[in-house]
Amino acid sequence: MTTTFERLSAILMKDYKLQPDRLTLDAPLESLGIDSLGTVELLWNIEDAFQIKLPPDPVELPTMGDVVRYVDELIAKQGVVSASAPVRNPARQTT
Amino acid sequence: MRRVAVSGIGVVSPLGNGAAQVLANARAGRSGVRKLEIPFASRLTAPIAATASFDDGVEFDPGKARMLDRFSMLALFAANQAVQEAHGALSDVDLERAGVFVGTGMGGTLTMDGGYQTLYGEQSDRIKPFTILMGMHNAAAAWIGIEHGLRGPNMTYSTACSSSTVAIGEAWMRVACGQLDVAIAGGAEAPLSPGSLKAWEALHTVATMDVLDPAASCRPFSRNRSGMVLGEGAAMLVIEPWDRARARGADILGEILGYGQSNDASHITRPSVEGQSAAMQAALRVAGVDRQEVDAINAHGTGTQANDRTETAAIRAVFGARADQIPISATKAMHGHLLGAAGALECVLSLLAMQHEIALPTMHLQLPDPECDLDYVPNIAREDVAAQVMISNSFAFGGTNAVLVLRRAGRESPGGIGSH
Repeated sequence: MTTTFERLSAILMKDYKLQPDRLTLDAPLESLGIDSLGTVELLWNIEDAFQIKLPPDPVELPTMGDVVRYVDELIAKQGVVSASAPVRNPARQTT
Repeated sequence: MRRVAVSGIGVVSPLGNGAAQVLANARAGRSGVRKLEIPFASRLTAPIAATASFDDGVEFDPGKARMLDRFSMLALFAANQAVQEAHGALSDVDLERAGVFVGTGMGGTLTMDGGYQTLYGEQSDRIKPFTILMGMHNAAAAWIGIEHGLRGPNMTYSTACSSSTVAIGEAWMRVACGQLDVAIAGGAEAPLSPGSLKAWEALHTVATMDVLDPAASCRPFSRNRSGMVLGEGAAMLVIEPWDRARARGADILGEILGYGQSNDASHITRPSVEGQSAAMQAALRVAGVDRQEVDAINAHGTGTQANDRTETAAIRAVFGARADQIPISATKAMHGHLLGAAGALECVLSLLAMQHEIALPTMHLQLPDPECDLDYVPNIAREDVAAQVMISNSFAFGGTNAVLVLRRAGRESPGGIGSH
């Protein structure tokens, strides 16, 4: 089964052209070129890819691990069936 | 006042990228106007534009690209090229005395248009978080300042189609009066969004498409002219005091002698002979150049009925009988109308034309117009035109007219021509 970390990494490699060796659970998003505004945009991509609904409240997610935990919590709360559903890449993803 | 040299040129345009390529294409009369191959083209009456050969995704890494509207990317690309060509102009300079002056008419209109499409077209609230930062008119100048660490004035001018002439002129003033030691000055425009294309169409100023040859759709000063063609691109100059440029052994590409402005104060779109001629006269006065010394002109020459007729009369009003002897180039026939970047590109073309002793052609001039009866260098570049002084005209909706006075750099050595 594909893990949340692997699916998040796939998004970052595809949309941000980041090399896999930079992607670790403790990697700060800032170090990957994703600041607080970039995180908002990233979360939209995650919302589409994971088919979850993001709460409207702002959230601090300094590292990749924080994003993984946040997404896993939402998946559990919202009862999304499979974490291995194919990553959707709708056209809305930023270019 | 100090003499001001141009020591670096950067261009990304429908005529190519870099001074050499742009000059070669302009000299050969090649048009950068083409049929638009975008889905939205089917909704345009005249689906043509002058597009720049510039791939956002190749020139900028995705992390940065997602923060930049195309107009900022074009600006940065041209500015970086100009700085590189200026070979050390930003070295050993007090960065607080180094400024950025950018003209743009429409700023980040592609970003704003995309936002509206999301909001109204897709009925989604997911407006990109960077929308404001990408769409604001001063984004391009800000990014140039960030990229090169320039801490002096960081200015953006938006006076429609004269924006970058104003930007270069204002930069010239700051350098000439001693406030700044170096400036990056020019313009950038990326106006080819669906909303912008449609709005320009609604204004009834864009050319009808030449069905047989879309590249020949813009026909300045020709009796059968039907309007302007929108274009995208950026042109940037590095300017610095003449003595500094000489002292560091820079390759001086030309000199800015001055610039003048006027305001029509009459009609929001209709050009005025009085306003245009007043801008030319003001520029000559500021530059301390007699009208007899002007050897060639880069016209605003949009290809609209109103502008070309008015500009012809304005040139006559300034130069009198001598107007017939002055070669006048309307290069928008080839590169389209870059709006806020047009003046900067035409300033670059004027400097290059003088440097290479040519007068650039006014292409697609098919039918003489009795109301446009000057020497427009029709359809083929003229060689062996040893122009020493040129003016470059930029006029605008809103009535903000601006004119630059430029001088050729001496070929034999920097500063080889008489000081001014």
